[in-house]
Amino acid sequence: MSALVRRLKYLFRRKEFEREIEEEMRYHLTMKAESSGEQNATKQFGNIALLKEDSRAAWGFVWVDQILMDVRYALRGMRLNPLFTAMAVLSLALGIGANTAIYSFMHAILLRSLPVPHPEQLAAFTWRTPKRGASVVHGLNGTMYRYGKSGSESPNFPFAAWEEFRADHSILSSLFAYVPAYDWNVVARNQAEVTRGMFVSGNFYSGLGVTSALGRVLTDEDDRAGAAHVAVLSYGYWHSRFLADPGALGQTILVNRIPFTIVGISAAGFFGVDSSIDPAVFLPLHSYALFARDPGREERSRFLDRNFYWLEMMGRLRPDVSIEQAQAVFGGMFQRFAASTAATAREKVSLPELHVEQSSGGGDSLRRQFEKPIYVLMTMVGLILLIACANLANLLMARASARRREIATRLSLGAGRARVVRQFLTESVLLSLFGGIAGIGVALWGVRSIAWQLTDGREGVILRADLDWPVLGFTIVLAFFCGMIFGLAPALQATRGDVAPSLKESRIGDKRVRRRPGVSHILITAQIALSLLLAVAAALFVRTLANLHSVALGFNPDHLLIFNVNARQAGYADEKLARFYSSLCENFGGIRGVRSASLSSFPLVAHYSDDESFTIDGQSGKKLRSWFVATDASFLETMQIPMLAGRSLNARDISNPRAVVVSEVFAKKFFPSGNPLGQRIRIDGTDQDLEIVGIAKTALYNNLKEETPPQMYLPFTFNVKRLGGVWFELRTAGDPLKLAAAVREIVHHFAPSVPVTNIKTQTAQIDESISQERTFANLCTCFALLAVIIACIGLYGTTAYAVARRTSEIGVRMALGAGRAGIVWMMLRQVLVLCGIGLAIGLGIAWESSTAVASFLYGVKPHDLTAIAVAAGVLLASALLAAYGPARRAARIDPMAALRNE
Amino acid sequence: MEATTRPEIPPGTLYMLILKTLARAGSMHGYGIAQSIQQTSENVLQVEEGSLYPALQRMLVKGWVEGEWRQSENNRRARYYRLTRQGRAQLARELREFNHVYAAITRVIEAV
Repeated sequence: MSALVRRLKYLFRRKEFEREIEEEMRYHLTMKAESSGEQNATKQFGNIALLKEDSRAAWGFVWVDQILMDVRYALRGMRLNPLFTAMAVLSLALGIGANTAIYSFMHAILLRSLPVPHPEQLAAFTWRTPKRGASVVHGLNGTMYRYGKSGSESPNFPFAAWEEFRADHSILSSLFAYVPAYDWNVVARNQAEVTRGMFVSGNFYSGLGVTSALGRVLTDEDDRAGAAHVAVLSYGYWHSRFLADPGALGQTILVNRIPFTIVGISAAGFFGVDSSIDPAVFLPLHSYALFARDPGREERSRFLDRNFYWLEMMGRLRPDVSIEQAQAVFGGMFQRFAASTAATAREKVSLPELHVEQSSGGGDSLRRQFEKPIYVLMTMVGLILLIACANLANLLMARASARRREIATRLSLGAGRARVVRQFLTESVLLSLFGGIAGIGVALWGVRSIAWQLTDGREGVILRADLDWPVLGFTIVLAFFCGMIFGLAPALQATRGDVAPSLKESRIGDKRVRRRPGVSHILITAQIALSLLLAVAAALFVRTLANLHSVALGFNPDHLLIFNVNARQAGYADEKLARFYSSLCENFGGIRGVRSASLSSFPLVAHYSDDESFTIDGQSGKKLRSWFVATDASFLETMQIPMLAGRSLNARDISNPRAVVVSEVFAKKFFPSGNPLGQRIRIDGTDQDLEIVGIAKTALYNNLKEETPPQMYLPFTFNVKRLGGVWFELRTAGDPLKLAAAVREIVHHFAPSVPVTNIKTQTAQIDESISQERTFANLCTCFALLAVIIACIGLYGTTAYAVARRTSEIGVRMALGAGRAGIVWMMLRQVLVLCGIGLAIGLGIAWESSTAVASFLYGVKPHDLTAIAVAAGVLLASALLAAYGPARRAARIDPMAALRNE
Repeated sequence: MEATTRPEIPPGTLYMLILKTLARAGSMHGYGIAQSIQQTSENVLQVEEGSLYPALQRMLVKGWVEGEWRQSENNRRARYYRLTRQGRAQLARELREFNHVYAAITRVIEAV
């Protein structure tokens, strides 16, 4: 142990130790000289440098000195070849930067754990049903994933199931429940705003192990029927809204007009259980019923109905319990529970099955949305890094060839092969570490722009991707291994075999060298093949985007401002609410620059949809289903959706809702032979017939990609009980966004507590709806461009090197009468052959693998010939262009000068 | 190098010679150690500087000796080496081993 201490002391005081050894030897020399009377005792002393080296070696830190020496040598080499260095570092910076950026998303979305103690003990509960059919799930409020024929999945459970699960203490130390709330109208410090919140069970905080930054967290005492109305704020919300004022404790906030007393602030950095949802306010689960129009009924359906699924649950496993044990115990428990709630024999046949999964990352809404895109992107950047590393290897190999004489000299003077290889590796690792550092800069920029592209404007998504330590560690390790792996081959090649021929050979033009570039040719071919893959992917995504942009909307999206207003949360209800919206709309119509104003239950092409089942009068009660949007009288006119027959809704239809306008698809589907005008339909659960008064030309509904379904335009007053927030559409003369201030002013004037949210143009809304496709197309184009550029850098370098190597051969050919065009052709022919092979291989791989991205495409097949042809053409042209420069220089060689050099 | 006929110091015994010299003299500088070994062995053993100083460094690492800078007898600064407790133990060990091997070798070469 003490030997280690002494060694370390040496390491940190090397200079001093060195001086001491030197002084000691000087003393020895002097003494020796004095005793023997000789002046030049040095002669007998032997090799001082060697002696010093041997003395140093005793301390076992020679490698430190050697590494420093290698680093110094490598840096000097880089300074002497700035172009080489720049090319290598640039390729690597781009490759590593792209990887780091995408990895930081992967880390944030797929890998990162919740910021709570022992996140690995957390278990999430979901249920799945094999197929659609009769189900014990009579009602569901929350998320449901449908997988078409293969059934559906949901994380929501009845309150009774949670209570039964909770009673078991053998597996879980805690089982807590929660329900996210997306748009609460919260009034704090006399300002209204729409924020997210969460209802949590009393054991939520204790189960997660999260404490309060101030005050206290919620407990079981707070989560009882009839308990005092209390709230806990998130740390971030407390900072932004209360400016971190400790006086916030005890203050009252209004959540949808219900007062809650702030009792605590949760710990900094805590965001609940899903990183994409960052609730500002946490309320006890039992306050859920307070928000309903009929709290008594709501309480019965939420807390007593065993067939109503609405609670999400998460448990903390006891330390010695495995997830399999939890699955076994709760799987059986849930099966018994579900069976006991089955109302009919058919319901008993297709019971939902429970799945318990380890859930250290918390909720998985982001994972579901981005998992596949991230894997596709990660593959792409991985390929780019390979291309960049091939460049590094190629450049190093070219450089090693140029240094063959130097290396041969070193080897023949007694340098160990390992030592020379290590020197090479030092250089390549250093290059890639520089590339890595520059790559972090690229990644910083990349992360920001990708996050912005992926989420722009969408309030539903919070992406927490940043370059934290795990990500930076990934980058450094990646850079290190790139340098090691791709530096090793050139190093081994350069130090292999007999040194004598290398020493004898002339600087250029040895025949034997011509066999050498075998490896570099393979690397170039691989680069071309990989680049083609990326280029094909880019072409496919760009075509997808172009297809999406050229989809016929059926309405005019230009000069259209849309925004959301929810006055029900501010206390308006039913008829009063409808009148309030109507008068708001009238006032919007009066704003200067507004040509037409309308309102609807939601905007078009915004991933909103709503459907009703109905019967057609005189068609024997057959149940049909159609999508709809509830609108006012001027909606079709404002959106500029043309009428094909009949009339659109008018003011009378709004005050006395007896009419409906249907779309062309609706008419064709439900009235294939007859005229729908004048026909009556009845929506399920109502006692009022609606008369079809008009047929509108089909306009897009939910999104750009799906085929437009049959749809109805219902008067928004038709079911005022269900009327909540609405969206307004203003057709403007000039820039729509300039009217935002006027809109806010009007709403504030009429109802100060009603916020205006989601103000944007319809065009932006449509862009948002395809932001993932757009990001994909943009990223892929960038990546493909990157790949082509990096491959071209490599091609340029190799061709230039080939020209330099064959200078004398070219000289001979020209002296013997070869024309300039012939020389250019000779150089390009090789590139063409390599490209041809690379393209053929790349085509094969692309053909096989492009189906993997089929689900991301729209209006284009994975084997799209145009995309493949464009990609191959661009790649071939860039490759020839990159090689043409050096080839032309070859043709300019002066034969006399070239031969004289020999 | 001049062609001297001085015998080599047997491998592995240099540490022992240095340790023994220091045990006898208390503390000594490198030149002194070399001189002392040469004189005590009546000019048979000559320690090369090339092996003496690396050996001393290794012994410093192992903690058998400590170095201290002092004025020498001729008023120059020199590093004096002194045995540590570990060094003394090591000397005993090396002597024991040497005697053991020496006796064995003697038995072999004197056997009839």
